[in-house]
Amino acid sequence: MRTSEAGSFTRRTFLRGTGIALALPWLETFAADSKQAATPKRFVSIYHPDGVGVPLREDPAWKDWSWFPRGGEKDFELTKVLDVLEPLRSDITIYSGLSHPAVRRVHGHSNADQYLTGADTKGHGPYKNSISLDQYYAAQVGDATRHASLVMSTNGGIGGPRGAQTQSFNREGRPIPAMNKPKQIFDMLFVADGKEAAARLARSKSALDLLIEDTRSLGRKLSKRDQETLQQYLDSVRDTEVKLTKARRWLDTPLPQVDSSKLDLECGPAEARQYFKTMYDLIYLAFLSDSTRVATYQLGRENGEGPHDLLSRAVGLGGAHGLTHSVKKKNGWQNLGTYNRYQMEEFGRFVKKLKDTPEPTANGTLLDNTFAMHGSASSSFHLSRNYPIVSAGGKNLGFKNGRYLQYVNLLKDGSLPGAGVISDSGWRGVAKEEDQALGHLFVSILQRLGVETDTFAGCTGTLKRV
Amino acid sequence: MVAVNTSQDYAGFVKGKLGVIVFLTVFFFNPAQVLADEPKADLEQFRKAVEPMLKRACVSCHGPEKQKGKFRVDTLDPDLLKGEDVNWWLEVFDVISNGEMPPEDAEVPLKDTERAAVIDWLSGEIQQASRVARAAKGRSSFRRLTRYEYDYALRDLLGLDHSLVDWLPPETASEDGFKNSSELLQMSSMQFQTYRAIGLKALRRAIVVGEQPRPVKYVLPLEKLFERTSASQKAKIFRRDDEKYAHHRRRSHLLNRETGVGVPFSGGMYRPLDAAAAGQVQPSSKVYMELPRNNEWKVGLDRFLPDEGTMRVSIRAARSTEDLPGDATLRLGFSAHTSNNANFSNIISERDVPVKAPAGKPEFIHFHIQLGDIQRNPFRKLETTFPRRDEFLHIRNVTLVNGLHVQFDHVEITAPFYEQWPPKSHAAIFFESKNRPDDAAYAREVLERFMTRAWRRAVTQPEVDRFMKLYGEYRPQFDSLEEAMVEVLATVLTHPEFLYLAQRDVAEAPARISQYELAGRLAVFFWSSIPDEELLELARRGKLREPKTLAAQVDRMLADPRARRFSRHFVGQWLGLDGLESVDHIRDDALKTAMRDEPVAFFEEVLKHNRSVMEFIHSDYAVVNSKMAQHYRIPEVHGVHFRRVPIKAECHRGGLLTGAAVLAMNSDGKDSHPLKRGVWMLERILHDPPPPPPPNVPEVDLADPEIAKMTLKERIADHSNDPACYSCHARIDPWGIAFENYDAMGSFRTTIKGKPVDATAELFNKQPLAGMDGLKQYLLAERQDQFARAMTHKLTAYALGRHLTFADHADVGELTQQFRGKGDRLRDLIHLLVQSRIFNSK
Repeated sequence: MRTSEAGSFTRRTFLRGTGIALALPWLETFAADSKQAATPKRFVSIYHPDGVGVPLREDPAWKDWSWFPRGGEKDFELTKVLDVLEPLRSDITIYSGLSHPAVRRVHGHSNADQYLTGADTKGHGPYKNSISLDQYYAAQVGDATRHASLVMSTNGGIGGPRGAQTQSFNREGRPIPAMNKPKQIFDMLFVADGKEAAARLARSKSALDLLIEDTRSLGRKLSKRDQETLQQYLDSVRDTEVKLTKARRWLDTPLPQVDSSKLDLECGPAEARQYFKTMYDLIYLAFLSDSTRVATYQLGRENGEGPHDLLSRAVGLGGAHGLTHSVKKKNGWQNLGTYNRYQMEEFGRFVKKLKDTPEPTANGTLLDNTFAMHGSASSSFHLSRNYPIVSAGGKNLGFKNGRYLQYVNLLKDGSLPGAGVISDSGWRGVAKEEDQALGHLFVSILQRLGVETDTFAGCTGTLKRV
Repeated sequence: MVAVNTSQDYAGFVKGKLGVIVFLTVFFFNPAQVLADEPKADLEQFRKAVEPMLKRACVSCHGPEKQKGKFRVDTLDPDLLKGEDVNWWLEVFDVISNGEMPPEDAEVPLKDTERAAVIDWLSGEIQQASRVARAAKGRSSFRRLTRYEYDYALRDLLGLDHSLVDWLPPETASEDGFKNSSELLQMSSMQFQTYRAIGLKALRRAIVVGEQPRPVKYVLPLEKLFERTSASQKAKIFRRDDEKYAHHRRRSHLLNRETGVGVPFSGGMYRPLDAAAAGQVQPSSKVYMELPRNNEWKVGLDRFLPDEGTMRVSIRAARSTEDLPGDATLRLGFSAHTSNNANFSNIISERDVPVKAPAGKPEFIHFHIQLGDIQRNPFRKLETTFPRRDEFLHIRNVTLVNGLHVQFDHVEITAPFYEQWPPKSHAAIFFESKNRPDDAAYAREVLERFMTRAWRRAVTQPEVDRFMKLYGEYRPQFDSLEEAMVEVLATVLTHPEFLYLAQRDVAEAPARISQYELAGRLAVFFWSSIPDEELLELARRGKLREPKTLAAQVDRMLADPRARRFSRHFVGQWLGLDGLESVDHIRDDALKTAMRDEPVAFFEEVLKHNRSVMEFIHSDYAVVNSKMAQHYRIPEVHGVHFRRVPIKAECHRGGLLTGAAVLAMNSDGKDSHPLKRGVWMLERILHDPPPPPPPNVPEVDLADPEIAKMTLKERIADHSNDPACYSCHARIDPWGIAFENYDAMGSFRTTIKGKPVDATAELFNKQPLAGMDGLKQYLLAERQDQFARAMTHKLTAYALGRHLTFADHADVGELTQQFRGKGDRLRDLIHLLVQSRIFNSK
């Protein structure tokens, strides 16, 4: 049913500033439901492969082309890699010295799989992953929106073990296929056909009705104590029914109407800038329309060769993965830094857009209610430590930005541990200074998103100073 | 009335001293009797014989002046039937009968006659109170099936040969260690939805729609491979009669039986046969592959395997020689290497399969693998060639015997493989019937039969009607009856009648379970599953409870291969063998598996031959396979199967206590852990669990150099000297210290770090234990009653799937007496239990 002509376009003016006309008919529909009207808390994670440049302190490239800033928590100076974020300085936090402990000595190419899960995915042999941070949150908040989460990547699908093409893993540790075609994502969000889904829901509804009725009559034949045991079953069926009703309600609720004329939905990774921008726009629209509150986007699979390698063309450079192998060549650090800078530029554009858009519930801006993170599971050359992470936003969730949080001691010469690694002996080696477990940051994030947990991936407690 | 006294070592204590004749009152199946008698507490005897004694011997420490252990005896309510102090009285009974109280150095000792008088009165009152509690309180085994029971039930019901439950969360074990305990089997909406998803998946595997899909078939062309390889790699060719053959044969190679020429080979990429060729496969070859130990043939299958269905791998294999004892064994792996650091390699065969056929007389070995359940190469359908799309099957010789190779002359891979079409699993649900042309009549027939089997009872017409209504609603949405029925049957499988073991309230026999419920209870006890047709039929005819029929059924069920589930799950949970997964010092996976299997095999030996359960404490034999025999240094045991072998005293094995699994899991990863072992003894063997440690228990300070240099035993002694710790540790530690001759791997030792092992300990009641031998001797001399009772308790709790309470005390006591009277035999105990009132009650 998509009969939303009357009265539902009222918000169009309100959203005009975003450049895209968007109507949110359900905001009226659910206005009476106070839980729905509460300001959403959102989470998005962007993953980029191949790490970043981390030259030694003594290297001439250190000053300009080290990804990590110079200086302290508040007085940090951004290098040329991150300086595109300078206008957003008070909205971002940069972290050093964080990584997942289990795979610190596994080749960086194998580790995109565990960036959001923290699982011990090892380097070879049998493979097992666990739930990712975004899905952990989606399990709690997913019911509130039409889509529990939006999972995207440039390569699409799931990839292979130790070569993930998705950042999201479900409760059993199975990969969730990522979408990579803008048109498909747009259609899912804004023009989906719910006929098959409706029939499936109707079948489930009838089955649940039967089970509820039968369970009641079975209960009458049981002793009092056994009835209590059975009650738990009945509650489970009822909960499922409630969930179903919600899903049903989404099917009956008109989709938000988005004017797609400003979007280039046919573009692919070959048109790097356009593609990248469109993917971010889709996340933005999904958030703005409250179609979901959870999104992941994997900019590329680890280890080169694939459509994502084309993205570095946007800044006039060759294969993205090759850049990490050529840092010692002429302008090597600069080239890698330039590519990373471009990633940051796009991330910054997205953050700025969130910042410029008032929250539809009038509680600050979209950015204030969104925790957006951008990072990779390796820093320099295949080294699975000191993940380069920037986060933005989340002011209303309790995040204090404008800081450079350092969780690992610098070496005597002022270099970051692992700096200047350019050969495979680097990632295999023992760390001179140990990182903090990234899982602590994940616990902090979950708690601020309102998830009651003290652990994630076997990591207990929040990250200090965040 | 002199009641039965079974608990603890009363018999041991009084033996020969008092000449008390303990006789038992067999309590017949009539709960009404208890109520009719209106039992009363024997307070007269208390005032006369017991109270004066307690006042004299106990009150100075446990009275108004002092309350040692925060306990006062003078304020206990002597009415055990109506009072609140039953649990305290049980404690009093235990410490007095074990001789732990009054302590050795007490001012006022108890004379044996006095002690006997207290015990006599207490045991009578406890029994009586337990019976009253039993009659008064509704106990229940109403519970959900456990994860593994649900799995077996689905498999048995649908005729599937593989597990389906890896989406379900694992179960929590109860205090007793049991995973089937009713109070812990919870349900959540997430779990409910998972049941639904699994039910659908299982049904879609059991039921087929449409024509039989044409299978993909690979035959590895051994002769052609040989010709090609020997032509292209002439330099590597060798002959079987070469001097250097001994060297060549250490690597996998192809060998021409007729010419004796060989060439190294282990890989290759293969394509499926076309339909014409697939029809004419001749399983004979003059060339065979010789696969040495720890070698594999990595078979490239490219990207032609289907997504779903059974992949059958058939290997015609033989051992390379009969001169070496032991088994040759094969294992299958599956891998892909999609790009340089993205790869996986998993074991896909459920277990290693022994190759029994002698050299020259190969026989087929079949593996069945569910392609939908294993990790596949996600890029296999890519149109481009990168990431790589191919998949590999690994055939690996995992024999333990050096020099024993596997030879195979035919390898065939088929997917999806069907034994017949439609498969049996399909035909069992959609059977032949004259009603078949009438959609609705046939659907009703299908439903009724399926529901009866799944719910393990006759179903009523209104029950079937409701499902027919659902079917009527679904049918128009699907092309075929089968497809619509899958959805309906999935609801039958998420119904509480399938997921739960229910006992209905019936007016005529309120305490007893019905014949159908009995069938269900037997099936879940022995098969961890649902009853078969025979049990259901006996229940329908009301014959199942006839003692002779019931006994025959128990024997039939125990003889069925499904009874292995009972041994595996009961022993695993009773002994807590999951503990092996919580230690990481056993690096050899094959050893770990063998360790875990050993106690199960031992139990099966005792069960099969109806031997005494006292052999669990000690036996003059071990039940081992070659792996365990090697670990225990028992010579001349070959092959992967477990069998009984006689052992000498020098071997220091026999029984369950000295099994490597128990010893290794009760270690801290580096060394033995006497405390863990002591707790294990008390919980698992003696069923006398120690209280949990107090919340503010001081940590042993390992940073203290004085403590760091102590041996573990000295450290424990030091820790136990702390008054806050002493009272509990004095009851736990000695049991564990007696195990000190066994290290963290369960190996026997006589020295620890150069010092001789000190495994002597003294129990709380001053009983010295001289190491493991002393411990076993003491248990067999003084604690047989306690162990027999513990055994009965554990088996009963498992059989009923619930925690036993004080209300079950009398029943367990009676069963123990009966089974002790017949010579402590395990099978007798099982028969007695199944025929008992407690097993036939809710």
